[in-house]
Amino acid sequence: MIVQVKMLANYREVLPPGTKHGTVELDVPEGTTVYDVISRFSIPLNDESVIVLNGLMTDMNAPLQAGDTVTAFSAIAGG
Amino acid sequence: MYGWHLKLLRVNLTTKKITTEEIDPKIAHDYLGGRGLAIHYLYKEVDPMVDPLAPENKLIFATGPLTATPAPTGNRYMVVTKSPLTGALAHSNSGGEFPTWMKRTGFDLFIFEGKSPEPVYLFVNEDQIELRNAAHLWGKEVPETTDILKGETSLEARVACIGPAGENLALMASIMNDKHRAAARSGVGAVMGSKNLKAVVAMGNKNPKLHNSAKMVSLSVQTSKNVGVDVKKGSNMRIYGTSYVPQVTNTLGILPTRNFQQGTFEHVSNIDGDALKNQYLIRHTPCYRCPLSCGRLTEVPDGKYKGKGEGPEYETISSLGTGCGVSDLAALVKANYLCNEYGMDTIGAGMTIAAAMELYEKGYINDDIVGQSLKFGDHDAVIAMLKKMAYNEGFGKDLAQGSYRLCEKYGHPEIAVTTRKQEFPGYDPRGSQGMGLLYATSNKGASHMEGDVAYEEVFGVPVKENPLTTEGKPELVKHFEDSFALMDSSGVCVFVGIRYMFNKDRMILPQILSEMLQLSTGADYTPEEALKAAERVYNLERMFILKAGSTVDTLPPRMLNEPLPDGPAKGKVVELDKMLPEFYALRGWDENGWPTKEKLKELGLPN
Ligand code: SF4
Repeated sequence: MIVQVKMLANYREVLPPGTKHGTVELDVPEGTTVYDVISRFSIPLNDESVIVLNGLMTDMNAPLQAGDTVTAFSAIAGG
Repeated sequence: MYGWHLKLLRVNLTTKKITTEEIDPKIAHDYLGGRGLAIHYLYKEVDPMVDPLAPENKLIFATGPLTATPAPTGNRYMVVTKSPLTGALAHSNSGGEFPTWMKRTGFDLFIFEGKSPEPVYLFVNEDQIELRNAAHLWGKEVPETTDILKGETSLEARVACIGPAGENLALMASIMNDKHRAAARSGVGAVMGSKNLKAVVAMGNKNPKLHNSAKMVSLSVQTSKNVGVDVKKGSNMRIYGTSYVPQVTNTLGILPTRNFQQGTFEHVSNIDGDALKNQYLIRHTPCYRCPLSCGRLTEVPDGKYKGKGEGPEYETISSLGTGCGVSDLAALVKANYLCNEYGMDTIGAGMTIAAAMELYEKGYINDDIVGQSLKFGDHDAVIAMLKKMAYNEGFGKDLAQGSYRLCEKYGHPEIAVTTRKQEFPGYDPRGSQGMGLLYATSNKGASHMEGDVAYEEVFGVPVKENPLTTEGKPELVKHFEDSFALMDSSGVCVFVGIRYMFNKDRMILPQILSEMLQLSTGADYTPEEALKAAERVYNLERMFILKAGSTVDTLPPRMLNEPLPDGPAKGKVVELDKMLPEFYALRGWDENGWPTKEKLKELGLPN
C-alpha cells in the first residue's frame, strides 16, 4: 500500500535531494506502523520532534492504512 | 537597589509638568516590573470605567528587572493602558532596541497622563528630559518619523512612535519602535494618538546595577549556549523565524483561512517560510542581545510591491495572508511593510479586512459601501483597504473600528471572530481547545501572547499535548497565563523564555528565570514565589477588566456552533463549557469569574 511521509521546514533536509513539497511516497506492506516508516529518516525520535498521523496525534505503534500521511517537524516554540 | 532603578518618570501632557518618583521596593518585589508594575499603577490611578481615548486614561511604558541586563532577550518592554478596542486592558509587548535604551535612561517606567494641546514628543537622555514640539512630524509615517527624530536628537537614541493610524485613532493602531518592532495589539497606538504624543526618544548609559553580576553573566552565557546548540542544529526559528509555522498549523487544520471559514489553505506553500526564504529574505535581524535572532530583513526588489523592511511573521501570514485568502507573497510582504509604516497591528488590520471580505461575499456590504469590490484573495484590495484604514478615508472609517464594530454596524456581528472585540490570532481554537479557553478568558481579549498554550498543543514545547481534547486544559491555560505574566513582567522574550528558562516537568517551574531575577535584583525569589507574583499580576488585571465592565468570558458563535468544515479537526467546535467552570475553580474565582475575597487576600490584593 502507498503511504506518504511529509517533513516540514528544517526536517526537509533529511529527504533525498529534489524531493518536491517535502513529501515522499512509500510502498509498504500491511501492518506497517508509524514508527516503521518514520524511523527510516534521520530525525530525532524523542520529544525534540512532533510526529502526527493525518494531522492528528498518534501512537508510534499505530498501524498505517493506505493513503495515510505521517508528518514530522521539529518541536520549537514559534508563532 | 539592583535590577530595578526604582524610579519612574511621570509626564503630564496637559500641564507639561514632568516629575520623577521613587518606586516602593516592596511594590517592585511583589509585582516584578514590566506588565506587573504597570498594572499596579494603572489600577491605582485610573478609573476602569474611563473613556480609553480621554485624557483621564494613562499610557504606561514599562521595562522589567531583566531588561537591559545580560539575560538573553532581556530586551522587552510592555505598553499598558485601558484599551479603546476592547474596553478592557491593553498590555502589548515589544523588543528590538528601544526598551533597553529606555531602561538606560535610569527609569523603569514612563507614565503619560492627560492630553497635550498640540503634537509633542518626549526626549529623555538621563537627566535631560524634554517635551518637544512635534508639529513637523504629525502626519508622517513611522520610518520617516524615526529618521527625523534620530537626526534631530542623536543617532545613539532609539525611537518609539505612532504613524498615521495612531494619529487618526484607528483601533488597531500600534506603537512602533526601531521602525519594525511593534507593541501592536489592542489599540495602544490610538491611546498615544489621543494624547497628541507622537514619539518617545530614549538614550542613556544607566545600566541597572546587578546584585550578583558575575553569576548573572555566567548563567546568561550558559543559557545563550543552550540556545546556540539549537541554532547550530538548524533551528527553524533561526532559519525561518516564525514564518515556518503556516505549514505546521495547516497540517493540523487550524490555519485561519478566509476569516476562519476554513482551517486549511490550499496555497499555503506560496506564502510560507520556504517561499519567503527563497525569494525575499536578506538576513536575520535580532532584538538586542538575542541569541536566537528570529527577525527577518526582507526585500521585494522590484515590481509593483517593491519595498524593504521586516517580516512577515507567522501572525501576519495568517491574517493578511490566509485570513484574507491571499496567496501572492510579494503583495503580502508589501502589506506587512505598510502596516509597519502606518503603525498598525497586522492581526487586527488583516482580520478586520478578512471580516469585511466575508461581509462582502455574503452580500451584506457592496461596491457602493466599500468603493470597490472586496473578495477573498484580492491582494490589491487588501493593500487599498490598509491605506484607507490608516488614513480614515471612506470605508476605511468603518474598518478602523475593528472587525466587531464593523460587522455590528452592517447587522452581522456573528461574522466577527473576536473576544472582547479583539481579533483572533493565528490558531483556530476549534482544533486547539486550550487556545479556545485562553481566548475566552484572556484579560486583553483574544491573544496568543497572554499564555500561548499552542506551544504545547501545536509545537510540542516543552511537552506535546493533544490539541483536540479538553482534559487538563484549564490547568495548562492557567499555568501558561501565569508563566507569560512572569516573562512579561521580567522583561524577557517568551520565545526564548519558554524553551530555555523552564524545565520539562508537567508543572513547569521557572527555575532559571527565578534565579536570574534573584541575581539581578537581590530579592530571593523562589520559582514558586515568582509564579505567585505572576498570579498576583494576572488577578489584578482581571479585577481591572471586570471593573471596566468586561465580565463575560465567551467565544464568537462560529467557534461554539459552526464545526470546522475541513482538515484534521473537521467537525470540531470549542467545548468551552467543559473547561470554563474548572478554570474558574483552579483560579480561585467564583462561578461568574470574579476572584473570591479569599483569593484576593491570599495574593495581597485590594478587594
Ligand atoms: S526570539 Fe525573536 S522576538 Fe524574541 S528577542 Fe529574539 S529576535 Fe526578538
